[in-house]
Amino acid sequence: MSLPDFDALFRGAGVTGWLYAADIDSGHEVGHRPDEPLPTASMFKVPLLVALCRQADAGLFDLSERVTVTDADRSPGPTGIAAMLDDVTISLRDLAYLMITVSDNTSADVLLGRVGFEAVNDMLAAFGLEGTRVTQTCRQLDDAMSADAGHGWPYLDAEDLARLSVLDPARTNRSTPRELARLFAMIWRDEAASAESCAWMRGVFNMQVWPHRLASGFPYDDVAVGGKTGTLPTLRGESGVVEYPDGRRYAVAVITRSFSTALNQPRADAAIGTAARMAVDHLRR
Amino acid sequence: MDLVRHLRYFTVVAEELHFGNAAIRLGMAQPPLSQRIKRLEEELGVRLFDRSARQVRLTEAGRLLLGEAREIVARVDRLHELARQGEGTVLKVGVPPDLAAAVIAALVAGFRETNPGVRLAPAEIWTADQLAALAEGAIDVGLVRHPVSAPGLRFGQVLVQAQGVLLAEGDPLAGVGEVHLADLAGRELLMPPREGEPGMHAETLAECRRHGYVPVQVHEGVGLGLVLAGAAVAFGPKVELPGVAWRPLLGSPIMCRVSVAWRPATAPISASVDDFAAVAVRTLKESAGMTDERAVPVRRVSRRPGMLA
Repeated sequence: MSLPDFDALFRGAGVTGWLYAADIDSGHEVGHRPDEPLPTASMFKVPLLVALCRQADAGLFDLSERVTVTDADRSPGPTGIAAMLDDVTISLRDLAYLMITVSDNTSADVLLGRVGFEAVNDMLAAFGLEGTRVTQTCRQLDDAMSADAGHGWPYLDAEDLARLSVLDPARTNRSTPRELARLFAMIWRDEAASAESCAWMRGVFNMQVWPHRLASGFPYDDVAVGGKTGTLPTLRGESGVVEYPDGRRYAVAVITRSFSTALNQPRADAAIGTAARMAVDHLRR
Repeated sequence: MDLVRHLRYFTVVAEELHFGNAAIRLGMAQPPLSQRIKRLEEELGVRLFDRSARQVRLTEAGRLLLGEAREIVARVDRLHELARQGEGTVLKVGVPPDLAAAVIAALVAGFRETNPGVRLAPAEIWTADQLAALAEGAIDVGLVRHPVSAPGLRFGQVLVQAQGVLLAEGDPLAGVGEVHLADLAGRELLMPPREGEPGMHAETLAECRRHGYVPVQVHEGVGLGLVLAGAAVAFGPKVELPGVAWRPLLGSPIMCRVSVAWRPATAPISASVDDFAAVAVRTLKESAGMTDERAVPVRRVSRRPGMLA
């Protein structure tokens, strides 16, 4: 069976794309430049969530512990506590829920402050995910963009984009499609943390609200899609797991860079779902 | 014209792709064979063979008709063979008309092997009519599609088979590995007649609706002409037919469920019915790819939050 023509799909959507997909149980895999180092954008919240669970599993804290998030803690972002106006008292696990389901940047930074970069990166090293590292908070990502461009959001000029360090995997949170999918496979196989924590994480990923990327490739009631998106100027990605009615499940990661700098590119978003569908369809043949 | 005889000539020429060789096989001279093929082409209104090159070739139309022609010839052969069988106990059997010819042939052969003294008289009857015929005693045993409700009848072991979808080979969906029912949106559906298969009709259409496919129109019929023409899709087991693509359905939502059905009867028919039921189970497993019915897995509906936002 020849490989699906991912290049033609991506080209038609006005993007360059990278992809990796694997059957979580058999290991049967398909990739399209799957080992390229790429910025994770918000997908760094996945290893952060896993590290948070492992610390809770180890008894370092209780995920039902409440914290108060004030305006001083607020990192910029369009959703969740980042977009709210008043102080919020909330449990650690509900912060994690907001961080994953709506990609709340403030929740992510509060949790990263609690977990620490070192714990996340030590865990990734222990997992053998050497291409994945978390080096920036959401606030640092945002600050880096305005510093590099010399102005604030939006970033629409090609010259500005060329200067953005957050688009250089060497200078920002980074991973590869293969490693992102491997991390998801570990969560779905109960290997990333305790079985109880993994089950909770799966539930949270399944509650992610965005329907336009991975999920758009599987528009069926009986196919479950759980995942985490990541977005930066011209960069769109999502990694996650697709579960079929026959019980087979696939870890998939797709990252794209668009040729156009426009912010709204539904075809680029949908190409992520279509590419994932083509990959899973290939694995099931 | 004797259409069946002409179709037989057609199948032989199609196998040989040489009128001389085909004529030898048929024990006739070449000119009358050529004439008959010509008459068949006139009758059907299409050219079956391309004789322009040095070698005889099937035309596209010939290629499409060949499978059907073989099926018709095989069924007629079987009919004659059944008629030739000796006297003795006769077991009248009903089978669905859309059951593959090879399966019917295997059923008859398998039964004859174990019950040489009993003559099997098969008739092609849809499920609803089989139930009536069983009640009236017009047939002794039937091969019916579930779900059926028929008080007073006995049913044998239920066998199942996940159905795939049959599409014109030019359909864009023919290129994917698996088709979800929802992907069929906008396409018309070809099904066996509702009057003949009411249970299967209702169940299939309910599954379609539940999975996001509401056919614009449901056609009733047996032949796959509408599928070949790209005018409709149909559900069924895997087939190899020129012009038609078969793809599995994602999640196996459409299941064909069949069993033998009979009216409690007195010996010696009763013993023959038991034998037929055993042969049917074996044959359907071996020749039709059917399997034992297992507990139906609970259908899980994913709870995507966007659905309630």
